[in-house]
Amino acid sequence: MKLKKNLRPAAVLAGIFLFLFVAARGMDPKDLLITTLRGFSTGSVTFLVAAGFSLIFGLLDVLNLAHGTLYMIGAYVGWTVYVRPDTFVDIMPLILFLMAGFSLRFLWDALSDRLNWSPTTIKIVGWVLVIIAIALALFIVPRYPIAGWALDDYAQSPTSYSFMVEQGTRLPAIHLDFEEISAPVAVIGLLLVSSMVSFGLALIRKQANQQHDLSPKKWITFIILVVLSLFFLLLNTTLTNFLFSLNSNWLFLIAVIIAALSGVGLGALMETTLIQPLYSRPIYQLMLTLGMSTIGVQLVRVIWGMPEFVLSKPTLFRGTGGACPASNLADLFEYNCTTIMVLGGRVRVYDEIFLPIVGIVVLVGVWLVLKKSRIGMVIRAGVQDSSMVETLGINVRRVFTLVFALGAGLAALGGVLGAPSNGLSTGMGEKLLLNALIALAVGGLTSYPGAALGSLLVGLIQQFMIKYGQIGIPIPFTDILFKPTPAIVPASTMLLMVIVLLILPNGLLGKQE
Amino acid sequence: MNSTSDPGMDAILELKNVHAYIGQYHILQDVNFVVPRGSITTLLGRNGAGKTTTLKSILNNATVREGKILLNNKEIQGLPPYEIAQMGIGFVPEHRAIFRALSVEENLRIAERKKGDLDKKRAFIFELFPDLKRFLHLRGTDLSGGQQQMLAIARAMVPDNELMLIDEPSEGLAPVVIEQLIEAISELSKTSTVILVEQNFLVASKLAQYFVIIEEGKSVDHGLMVDLQQDKEKIHHYLGAA
Repeated sequence: MKLKKNLRPAAVLAGIFLFLFVAARGMDPKDLLITTLRGFSTGSVTFLVAAGFSLIFGLLDVLNLAHGTLYMIGAYVGWTVYVRPDTFVDIMPLILFLMAGFSLRFLWDALSDRLNWSPTTIKIVGWVLVIIAIALALFIVPRYPIAGWALDDYAQSPTSYSFMVEQGTRLPAIHLDFEEISAPVAVIGLLLVSSMVSFGLALIRKQANQQHDLSPKKWITFIILVVLSLFFLLLNTTLTNFLFSLNSNWLFLIAVIIAALSGVGLGALMETTLIQPLYSRPIYQLMLTLGMSTIGVQLVRVIWGMPEFVLSKPTLFRGTGGACPASNLADLFEYNCTTIMVLGGRVRVYDEIFLPIVGIVVLVGVWLVLKKSRIGMVIRAGVQDSSMVETLGINVRRVFTLVFALGAGLAALGGVLGAPSNGLSTGMGEKLLLNALIALAVGGLTSYPGAALGSLLVGLIQQFMIKYGQIGIPIPFTDILFKPTPAIVPASTMLLMVIVLLILPNGLLGKQE
Repeated sequence: MNSTSDPGMDAILELKNVHAYIGQYHILQDVNFVVPRGSITTLLGRNGAGKTTTLKSILNNATVREGKILLNNKEIQGLPPYEIAQMGIGFVPEHRAIFRALSVEENLRIAERKKGDLDKKRAFIFELFPDLKRFLHLRGTDLSGGQQQMLAIARAMVPDNELMLIDEPSEGLAPVVIEQLIEAISELSKTSTVILVEQNFLVASKLAQYFVIIEEGKSVDHGLMVDLQQDKEKIHHYLGAA
């Protein structure tokens, strides 16, 4: 019985690979290798998005259609930190103070409990507070002194800035046409904004008979955030100069970390403020996340402008001098070559070797967390029955927030890491989310190994189809060379999904419910 | 209706005029009873009377809109379920809710509230349920129905719970296994108070000292189990053929 059950996915998988390699039989070995590696590369980036999406769906039952947006925001945040560290340093106090206000939610909850107003009054006051806070935020943010950037510079010559950064030239800061207010006033204003929003939300969602823990340890997050933001505020010039003095490798690393953290922060914010009230309403969740993805795209357009950006690779992956392209590993490490020669073909180190390695590291890392840690155990149990987990005495809502935040962080990480090979555009999120969804449908929606396998297949199919578009597929037993048009690339992944779902409705590794 | 309790009795749990909802449905409509510390109290009633909802309302898994639930004289209604559980309540749900993706060992370990809970109780649990020791590394769902029930009870025993809520433990089990189960529950009742929902009147009467009858979402009768066993007419009236 068991064998029969496992046989079908194996047969489907074998069929897919058989197709790929029969079609590839006329291919040069070096093309075959490079196309396969590219498949792994695309698959890795897709996996970073798909894995988070599937964890969130598995545990929280939320189909987060804004996941692609988080991927896109990760890329844009990473780009900003990498290219304009001064902007990053300028904006940090603002964000940290905003978060500090939200971290005082426990205080507002307790305060709202002391109020003896009628329920309607409380709701109205809550909404009024939220609306005033948003208006205040819209007033403050454009007046906050941030080193901006002249977008036209990038639009005309998307790579020029990277050379400027390397030579230590700073791009001129431009500001919006508002009269600036001083940074300390602005950040205090933002603290007020977030406090008002969270107080408003506390009022709107007021519940009877809650017990409140106002112990000093509840203040720790708030204090850490305030100290951090003061750090950015007071050491602004020092930090900016320090970041500009770093070489592009360190800056890239910092950009990757900050981008991933921005995803984590944004995810936590999304889950606690927007998703949480809608846990029992799946349709509303869908509308909400769909709306958020649209808002996210427009926000990115407003903040970063329309042009598409390129994020240049750090110098570690950009060497061309000396013995480049490298023919062996020693040369590769000595001259930091962009490409390495394998089987007579040029393999791009960042795209075709580094990204797949990151994908595998994340795959194994998350798997270890799921299998070996207590939090992983709680997640695996919660996927099946979160309410039972809660009755064991585990604060499962906090685990929800954590998983959502980590899933969002993975997507943002995918965005920033994929940016040097795929570029940045406001459509990147939706395109990738579609691929991730196809990957999950192929692999099995809530199966973690399924997310990896599905992503890999989607990546391979895409890259092979691109290649076949160039060299054509020899149809067996005939002389016909079939040349697919570029439009077949997105169609082919869809076709893959349709075929897999027809044979295996739960995907390759999905469990039958 | 008032719950008439001995003034001198030490109550671990008390429900006062509890009205509870599941979704839009008003399931519990005035439930009152007292659970004496150290006892086994059984909730009796026909299918759909609201016994399971009563257990759920204690853990706030059913929304309590009216009334009070007192654990050790402290109001707990409206608190998040995990906080209520942390006060020392263990729950064995109707369909066991063994975690499929977890091994038997992990199913026990996940119930730890502080590190080392399981190691402290390990010997006691395995003495009570020797089967679990043999299947420690199997998946939870590779066990038989009876073994899964044992695992669900063992899981609730891992932390120091002073109150155990056990829902329909004998459902679907073979008579031999039920014997074993009765033994286990009476053993664990030595260290904690038990509220037992049980369709099988024989099992309930072997274990419980007190009973509460729930009918159409109301607590309609309560008393000593020994008295109920004599009163065939009452049993028939409330529970159908027993």
